[in-house]
Amino acid sequence: MTFLSAILFIALAAWYLSYSATRLDRLHHRVETSWANLDGLLQRRAAVAIEIARSEISDPASSLLLTFAAHQAREASVRDRSQAETGLSGALGILLESSIDISGEIEKDLLRELRELTEKIRMAISIHVDAVTRTQLVRKKLINRAFRLAGTAPLPVTYEFEADFL
Amino acid sequence: MPLSKKRIGIVCPYGWDTPGGVQSHIRDLAEYLIRQGHSVSVIAPAIEDENLPEYVTSAGRPIAIPYNGAVARVLFGPIAFSRVRSWISQGNFDVIHLHEPAIPSISLLACWAAEGPMVGTFHAAAKRQKVTFAVAPFLEPVIEKLGARIAVSEAARETLTEHLDTDAIVVPNGIYAKQYRDGSLDDRWTGNSIGFIGRFEEPRKGLAILVAALPAIAMVIPDIKVFIAGPGDSESVLKDIDASLRHRFTFLGHIPEADKADFLASVGLYVAPNTGGESFGIILAEALAAGASVVASDIPAFDSLLGHGEFGTLFQSENPDDLAKKAITLLQDSVARRAIAERGKVYAQEFDWDVVAEKIYDVYEMAMVGGTGVTLSSENRAWNKFLGRQGS
Repeated sequence: MTFLSAILFIALAAWYLSYSATRLDRLHHRVETSWANLDGLLQRRAAVAIEIARSEISDPASSLLLTFAAHQAREASVRDRSQAETGLSGALGILLESSIDISGEIEKDLLRELRELTEKIRMAISIHVDAVTRTQLVRKKLINRAFRLAGTAPLPVTYEFEADFL
Repeated sequence: MPLSKKRIGIVCPYGWDTPGGVQSHIRDLAEYLIRQGHSVSVIAPAIEDENLPEYVTSAGRPIAIPYNGAVARVLFGPIAFSRVRSWISQGNFDVIHLHEPAIPSISLLACWAAEGPMVGTFHAAAKRQKVTFAVAPFLEPVIEKLGARIAVSEAARETLTEHLDTDAIVVPNGIYAKQYRDGSLDDRWTGNSIGFIGRFEEPRKGLAILVAALPAIAMVIPDIKVFIAGPGDSESVLKDIDASLRHRFTFLGHIPEADKADFLASVGLYVAPNTGGESFGIILAEALAAGASVVASDIPAFDSLLGHGEFGTLFQSENPDDLAKKAITLLQDSVARRAIAERGKVYAQEFDWDVVAEKIYDVYEMAMVGGTGVTLSSENRAWNKFLGRQGS
């Protein structure tokens, strides 16, 4: 009897461990895909920003500022990324506030694309932040820490610019 | 919109052949996506397998259970589970969209069974319930599998944050706003009139509150009339109304879609006295789009739909005196009434399917990044791979 219940217990424990590991793995996957999605959108925003800088919308001074900010956002290392994205948001914000009457079709298209992208980025950020916080929460659980079920995967974090954006 | 055509699976938790907000939302969304060239399959419980549209697969007969103040026709159990599993494995979907996955239904089963890009839409806006704390530990690991969540209103989003501790993107339910935009005034319904659309016999639709408010309104506005559209037994309702008020009520029966826009554009006020159980309030969005001046109870769904009173007037739910007061103020001040209706009309264009479906598709795209497609989760288990077992 004790033997049987021991086997049962081991089987149950093994199932629970495997289940927890799958759950964690899935969460890490969610963090990765949501970041890939957000990253792609941010890259597109930088590309649009460079086009805006070249267009009639911006005066030479803001063009310079915008081009600089966009390049920084594109080339930033992981550590500087957040600051660079905030910088680009700021530069685009200044430009959009100061340019009121835009007449050209191409310019209108550019601004519409920017607005759509901003909306999508906002969505992507909320998806990413949710995935990260959920993963952090589950990783804190005792079983996951005790058995090191997360393996070598680094603890996912959110970027500072994400909070600013929302 | 889409450059590439996708295979999209949608899971409807409620019986397809019973009328309801979630079902019509799914029907309109599925048909919109099909028109865009996607291949869409919907799985839903259904009483009759015949008469289902081509894109709907039946999961079996629904069971009626009380939920959220109304009777919900949902389905679960081993047979439904195996049907959902085979729907997933045969569908070869790029993404699946689950509606209301936090209630016991085939949506939850699908979320359980599937692995891959999944989007969930949460419709319900409910007050904090004790029971959800008990079920949260079971639900969380399942709901966690959703790559992205949508809430149909701020109220639904708050419910989700409170109950399951997770955030969502707000995308409202869709309407065909363009159909309502150009309603013309019809003499039958204009003047000092109040309109009401809905299954008026259901207590939660709140007709009784409107009836209770009427004497006070009639004292100030002697020619006030009430037009009630919707299916139901009008005789039994009239019987309970005070004899001196009966002549003010006109029951129109089921109103054809073609007349709905004119009706909403014509009535002096559109009143929605619902007492609860409302997840979004699609009829209010339609009334706004038609240019009606709306007076609605301040239940969470209506409060957020009407922008906390900016696009329509709110009265304290289940309080006939407050309803009478708000209605009289509006009926006496036609300038203010028209101004608020005009604001509402512009705002309601955001609910047009062209806007809403695009947003939903954007969320699909975000969930599909990486593009692995949806599989059964059992296919991915290590021991099944090891044994070379395939999901049924």
